[in-house]
Amino acid sequence: MLRRRWRWAVVALGLAVLVSLPALVEALPAADRDVSAGELRERVLASDDVAFSGYAISTGGLTLPVSDALTGVADLLSDQTSLRAWYRGADDWRVDVVTATGETGTHRDATGTWTWDYADQAASRGTLPPLALPTAPDLLPSALGRRLLSEATDDELSRIAPARVAGVDAPGLRYTPADTAASVSAVDVWVDPGTGLPLRVVVRGGDTTTPALDTRFLDLSLATPDASTTDFRPPPGADIRSDQDLTDVDLGRQERADLPATLADLGRRGFDGVPEQIGVYGSGITVLAVSALPGRAAAALRDQLAATPGAVTDDLGVRIAAGPLALMVAGTSTRDGGTGTYLLAGTVTLDALATAARQIQEAAS
Amino acid sequence: MIGVELRKLFRRPRTWITIALLNALPVLVAVLLKVTDLAPRPGEGPAFLSAVLTNGTLYPLAALAIVLPLFLPIAVAVVAGDAVAGEAQGGTLRYLLARPAGRTRLLVAKLVAVIAFVLVTVVIVAAVGYVVGTALFEVQSLGATTGISGTSLTPEQVAGRTLLSIGYITVSMLGVAAFALFFSTLTDSPQLATLGALAVLIGSSLLFTLDAASDIAPYLPTRYWLSFVDFFREPILWRNITRGLGLQAVYVVVLLGAAWANFTTKDVTS
Amino acid sequence: MNGTVIATAGLRKAYGAVRAVDGIDLDVRAGDVYGFLGANGSGKTTTVRMLLGLVLPTSGTVEVLGRPIPKAGREVLPRVGALIEGPAAYPHLSASANLSLMDAAGPGGARRGRRQRIAEVLDQVGLGGVGKRQVRGFSLGMRQRLGLAGALLRRPDLLILDEPTNGLDPQGIHEIRTLLLDLNRTGTTVFLSSHLLAEIEQLATRVGVLDRGRMVLQDDLATLTAPTGATVVRTPDPARAVRELGDRVLSADGERLVVRGSEPAEVNAVLVGAGVPVSGLALDRPTLEDVVLAAAAGSGDRVPVGTTVSGAAA
Repeated sequence: MLRRRWRWAVVALGLAVLVSLPALVEALPAADRDVSAGELRERVLASDDVAFSGYAISTGGLTLPVSDALTGVADLLSDQTSLRAWYRGADDWRVDVVTATGETGTHRDATGTWTWDYADQAASRGTLPPLALPTAPDLLPSALGRRLLSEATDDELSRIAPARVAGVDAPGLRYTPADTAASVSAVDVWVDPGTGLPLRVVVRGGDTTTPALDTRFLDLSLATPDASTTDFRPPPGADIRSDQDLTDVDLGRQERADLPATLADLGRRGFDGVPEQIGVYGSGITVLAVSALPGRAAAALRDQLAATPGAVTDDLGVRIAAGPLALMVAGTSTRDGGTGTYLLAGTVTLDALATAARQIQEAAS
Repeated sequence: MIGVELRKLFRRPRTWITIALLNALPVLVAVLLKVTDLAPRPGEGPAFLSAVLTNGTLYPLAALAIVLPLFLPIAVAVVAGDAVAGEAQGGTLRYLLARPAGRTRLLVAKLVAVIAFVLVTVVIVAAVGYVVGTALFEVQSLGATTGISGTSLTPEQVAGRTLLSIGYITVSMLGVAAFALFFSTLTDSPQLATLGALAVLIGSSLLFTLDAASDIAPYLPTRYWLSFVDFFREPILWRNITRGLGLQAVYVVVLLGAAWANFTTKDVTS
Repeated sequence: MNGTVIATAGLRKAYGAVRAVDGIDLDVRAGDVYGFLGANGSGKTTTVRMLLGLVLPTSGTVEVLGRPIPKAGREVLPRVGALIEGPAAYPHLSASANLSLMDAAGPGGARRGRRQRIAEVLDQVGLGGVGKRQVRGFSLGMRQRLGLAGALLRRPDLLILDEPTNGLDPQGIHEIRTLLLDLNRTGTTVFLSSHLLAEIEQLATRVGVLDRGRMVLQDDLATLTAPTGATVVRTPDPARAVRELGDRVLSADGERLVVRGSEPAEVNAVLVGAGVPVSGLALDRPTLEDVVLAAAAGSGDRVPVGTTVSGAAA
């Protein structure tokens, strides 16, 4: 009997060690670095020539009510996405979205991108549009961190506790946008102290505890990956297409409108090659995009938004918020005697969205 | 001792009937695909099945992917669940132990025999898959098979990675085998031990699909089963493969330890 | 072979509150045919299993062939042949394949000569003609013989047999009895567990009696059934005989009288001298049954109302 108890104790002990080991390693405190927030941001912005390869996972906590037109974006922001990345330089990298039985790989070269979709057995060539919807490569912590911090000012930055990410003790940086229109309450970035590479980015919106987006490296190697890895040649027998970009979409050119220079205190930014009907306002993490929308498309989207729980409907239009993301269909179709319909989307508050809608209407009439 | 267990296992008609039944499904699928010419869309259905119409040499993998989620683990649970409880039920356990076979030795020999069964089964499924695939479907004679990452794999690469997959799938079954073997030392009824292991299997597969269980997902025995697909990415994605191997090793160590603690101190009254 | 072959001290096995075996001190000596008697459920099988290391004692020690069990099982058990609660075999394999597998499963069964040993032992138990047949088709008696063959395969120094004649017909029983006595003559110690008194009486040189987990009797059969110092007389005229013998008559039962006096000839002379006809004359010996019934309380599977069951799980 004694022997029996003793043997079970050995097994139980072994099990306890095995089960608690990951938690214990996780609980080990990460070492911090003596570096100021501003300095850390400088290092992040300078990190776009740091070669690496790694495996990252991005978890979105947003449920977007749009399904048909924007499924890709909606999936990225609501699901868990596994990413494999090889980065040799700003115009030579590859990011694969890995699923259980397939993958979608984006290969960047000097003149554009190849996107390989295993499920469709299709390769599509994309040029580099000035403005595009977010895609999986944008969710990589390195890319997202650099982008979100690029327009932050020093007084919006503070240091937070370090964390261990992909085995690196990474000092942390918090960016709290100062814009009143901002719907993102904070962006936390943990940075590889040696190279300035952002290792984990957490976007927090409003007062919810679940982050709107949490993306981090699980594995990271700073060795320069092989050129053959990032290179892509369409395999024989594959379907070859060319990417549609946002500017190809028929945005209702008949509904020409002059968008104001500022909306809700956010200044308009210029992009070459972007049609007049699309306006991008704001900076940093507080961004508002406005686009004229054909009347029929607007009506369909308006119905869809109005059916979403929590939608606000008034004479300005229909608007909803999904975490820090806000979406609105505003205005009245010219056919119905209005000044045209618009889609407003961005990381701004619903109030800012309403203000912007009113300002567009005033400018048009 | 191990030789004795292997002889017992492979001289048993039931072993070969199980393997034959296991092969029936992939063969049936192949025939249906050939007759109807309706391959599932890539990314749907079992892994690699979409690709076999144009390349029969991938059928061993598709066959493995077909039996992997259910048929193979059931066969493993039946054989491993029978390991000790079957001897107890048949009365031969008391003679083995009085021989004396040594309880720890017997347990290890049983595990080795189960592993051998899995390996033989997986190899046969792959071999039958190859024969059926190359007989029924086109074979790209000039080589290049398109891998998951859109790169071309030479026939040698395909063969090598298929062998790696066979090894990985064999290891993947060890968790189920260890569960069944542990249960087999708890009860004198092989059916009960098999059912217990199947309950674990089904529970694990169910929890894996549940978002609420995502925190424990990395510890589920079935979590990394499909990672054999990662051998066909370019470069090979080792992360989940190594985790899968490690996880199965942990299950084997813990459950074999529990089986040992129970079996070596248990009164054999069957 | 000298000395003690099986020795247990204070051997006890409890299943929860039930004491299946309750402090047994077995003493089996080299060359014995030891009859281990007990009613169903008296703890015989549990004891046999403890001797073989299958059941682990709650307390007490077991020594077999001078070494502790289960600790030295690997060293000792290859020299022990056993038949435990009925035979068992793999039904889809032949008799000789079964023996071969069992032999290979443990130490002390050399591969060289295995085929030869198997053929011999199958002949010995009378299965020489069916060695290649699947056990599936065997009768109960054939299975019992196969089990015995397994026990004899390594020419053991000690045979531990639990109910070895189960399922055998009278000829079979006689055959096995002869076989066991032959083996014993060549030096094999036999430990025979049975509930059949007659079987033990015919075979055993020493007897141990188990009653509800306790050893109530352990002695040489010769001692147990030694003459009582009385003479049994059979006479067609018991009334006259009683008159002649007076208070020497210890008991009278029909024509059978038990008379004090260990000299039957002297008793005979007295009666014949008095003209009392004598039809039978013998030394009075107790039968094993008398001894066992006197020592043990009753049948183990008889449970009258109001008694608590102890030693039921055997």
